[in-house]
Amino acid sequence: MTYQFDFSFIYEYRAMLAHGIAYTVYLTLVGGTVGTLIGTVGAICRTWDIKPFAGLYQCYVELFRNTPFLVQLFLIFFGLPSLGIRMSEGQAAILAIILNVGAYSTEIIRAGLQATPKGQIEAAQSLAFTRWQIFFYVMLRPALRKVWPALSSQIVISMLGSAVCSQISAEELTFVANFIQSRNFRAFETYFLTTAIYFAMAFLIRQSLNLIGRYAIVRRPLP
Amino acid sequence: MRTSRFFRPLVLLGALGLGSLAPVAQADVLANITKAGVIKIAVPQDFPPFGSVGADMKPSGYDIDVANLIGKEMGTKVELVPVSSANRVPFLTTGKVDLVISSMGKNAEREKVIDFSSAYAPFFNGVFGPDDIKISKIDELAGKTVSVTRGSIEDLELSKVAPASAVLKRFEDNNATIAAYLSGQTQLLATGNVVAAAVHERSKQRSLGVKFLVKNSPCYIGLAQGETALQNKVNEIIQKAKKNGSLNEISQRWLHAALPADL
Amino acid sequence: MMTFTLWDIVRNLLLGGALTLLLSMVAFVLGGLAALALLFARIAKHRPPRGLAQIYIEIFQGTPLLLQLFTLFFGLSLLGLDVPAWLAAGVGLMLFSSAYLAEIWRGCVESVPRGQWEAGASLALTYREQMRHVILPQAMRMAIAPTVGFAVQVVKGTAVTSIIGFAELTKTGSMIANATYQPFLVYGLVAIGYFLLCYPLSWYAQRLERRLYATRTN
Repeated sequence: MTYQFDFSFIYEYRAMLAHGIAYTVYLTLVGGTVGTLIGTVGAICRTWDIKPFAGLYQCYVELFRNTPFLVQLFLIFFGLPSLGIRMSEGQAAILAIILNVGAYSTEIIRAGLQATPKGQIEAAQSLAFTRWQIFFYVMLRPALRKVWPALSSQIVISMLGSAVCSQISAEELTFVANFIQSRNFRAFETYFLTTAIYFAMAFLIRQSLNLIGRYAIVRRPLP
Repeated sequence: MRTSRFFRPLVLLGALGLGSLAPVAQADVLANITKAGVIKIAVPQDFPPFGSVGADMKPSGYDIDVANLIGKEMGTKVELVPVSSANRVPFLTTGKVDLVISSMGKNAEREKVIDFSSAYAPFFNGVFGPDDIKISKIDELAGKTVSVTRGSIEDLELSKVAPASAVLKRFEDNNATIAAYLSGQTQLLATGNVVAAAVHERSKQRSLGVKFLVKNSPCYIGLAQGETALQNKVNEIIQKAKKNGSLNEISQRWLHAALPADL
Repeated sequence: MMTFTLWDIVRNLLLGGALTLLLSMVAFVLGGLAALALLFARIAKHRPPRGLAQIYIEIFQGTPLLLQLFTLFFGLSLLGLDVPAWLAAGVGLMLFSSAYLAEIWRGCVESVPRGQWEAGASLALTYREQMRHVILPQAMRMAIAPTVGFAVQVVKGTAVTSIIGFAELTKTGSMIANATYQPFLVYGLVAIGYFLLCYPLSWYAQRLERRLYATRTN
C-alpha cells in the first residue's frame, strides 16, 4: 500500500481555514496589546514598589509564569464554573492569553525601566522636567525601545502557544486543522499545512512588530 | 536578504514533504501479530461504560473486555493503547495499532480510509440534557449549545441535520466534551445513550436525561484497509463470541442489558 | 471501583508528575546536547552549516510545539516508523528545546566582546583554542541564568504532550477530572504540581541573574 498525499482539502475548507487564521490573529493582537498594557502597569507598580499592587503583581507574575498555559485554560474553562464563574471558550481563551502576555511583559518592561541610568534622571531633573515628563520621556520610552525585541518575541511565542486553545473548543487555526482531520482523516497533510501557515504568520507578525518598533517606539520626539 | 531567509525554510519543508512520499512497505498484519505474539489494540479511556479509568488508572469497560477476548482467542498478548475519538483513525492508518476497539461507528467517510469488522456492540447516540430544557426533536436544537466530541458519529450526524442556529461546541476527546456539559459550559450533550446513563449515574453535578436519539449506530472494530486475513479472523471471533454467549456476558456486565438479537 | 479518595487523586497525580519530571529532564539534557552541536554550526566560519542551523532554528521557533508534536507523531508513522507517544513527546520536546537553547547560547557567545577574539588571535591561538580557552568560559558564565530560566519552559512544554496521549501530569489530571467530576480541585492540584516544579527553577534563575549583574557592574 502506498500512501497517497492529497492536499485537495485546502480548497474545500478554505473558508474555515481563513476563519481559523483570523481567530488566531485576533487572539494574538488583542492578547498582545492588552497584555502589554497590563504588563506596563505591572512594571510601574513593581519598579516604584506601589503597595499593595507590587505584591499582588508579583504573585500574579509568578503564578502565570510557572504553570503551563494548557492547565491555566483548563482551570479557567472547566474549573471556574464550579465556583460560579462561567465564561465562553472565546472569553476563556483571550483571558488566558492576556494574563500570560501580561505576566511576561511585566518582567520584561521592568527590566527595561530598571536599566535607566541614574544620571539621565538627574540630568532631566536639572532641566526642570516634571515627574511625569521624566517618567515618560526618560524612563518608559527608552525602556520600551530597549525591550521591544524581547516583547515582540513574547508576542510571537503567545501566538504559537494559542494553538492549545483548540482544546477548549475555541475555533482558532489548530481547531480548524483538527476539525478537517476528523472529517477527512488526512492527519499528516492537515498538520503539515497548518504548521506552514503558523510559520508564515510568525514571520509576518515578527516583521510587523519590527516595523512598529522602528516607526512608533524608536523614533525620537521632535526637538 | 530577508525574504530569502524566510523562503529557505519553506523549501526545506517542501523537500521533507516530497521525501515522505516514498511508499510504505506493508506486510500482512495478521502474520506480524502472530509472529510478535502481541496485538496492539486502541481502546477508549474516557468513555464509560466502554472504557474509563478507575483509581488504579487502568482502563476497564466493554471495549477493553472485547479486546482481551480477541487477544485470548488469537493466543496473543494484548497491548492496550488509550486513544481519543479524534485520533483513533490516524492511529490505525499510520499503523500505530492493529485494531481499534473504541465504540466506533461505521460511516461512508471512514470506510474510505479503514475497514470494519462485523458489529460487536449496540450503540444509540442522541442528545441529552437537564430536566429544565424541554426539547424532544432535532429542530428544537435551534439556539442551543451542544457539546460533542469532534469526529464522532454524533458530530458528523448533527453537523448534517441540526438547524443552523444550533451551536455545536466540538472538543478533542470525550473527557472534555463531558466536562464541558457538567461544568455548565454547554446546555446539552450529544453522546451515546449508555454513556449518558453512566455519566448520569456517577456525577451528581447536573442531571442528564434523554432528549431524543439521533441515530442507531452499532460499534465496529476498525482495521487497516486490505487486511483481509485479519478481518476474517476478527469476524470469526466475534461470531463465535455471539454464539457462545461470551459477548452477551460482556453486555450484561457493562450495559446491564442483553445483547440485541439483531446485532 | 470508581470512587476516588483525595489520596487516590494525589497519588495518581504524583505518578503523572514523576513522568513530567522525567520527560523534562530527558528533553532538557538531550536538547542541550543537540543545542551544543547547533550552536557550533550556527557560529561556524563556513556558510552551509550556519545556514542549515538557522533554518532548523527558525522552523522550530516559528511553529507551535503542539503542531510539531502532531506532525512528528503522525508523520513519522507514515514513513513506516512506529513512534509511541512517549518517544514522540521526548523527541519533539528535545528538538524544540535545542532550537531555543542554541539561540540563547549564541546570544551569550556573541556578547563576548570582539576584542577577546582578537586578543586570542594575537596570541596565535587557533579558532578552536580561542573558543575553548577564551570565549566559551566567558559565555558559559553568562549562559547559566537564561538556561535555567528556559528549563521552566521545558517543564511547561511537557503539558502539551498530553494532547498526543502521553500520560504525564496534565493528561493524568484530565483523566481524573473526568472520573471524579471535580475539575476545579483536580486542575487546581495539577497547577500546584507544576508550580512546585517550576518555581524553584525560576527563583534560582533570577538569583543567578542578579548575582551576575552585580559582579559585572562592580
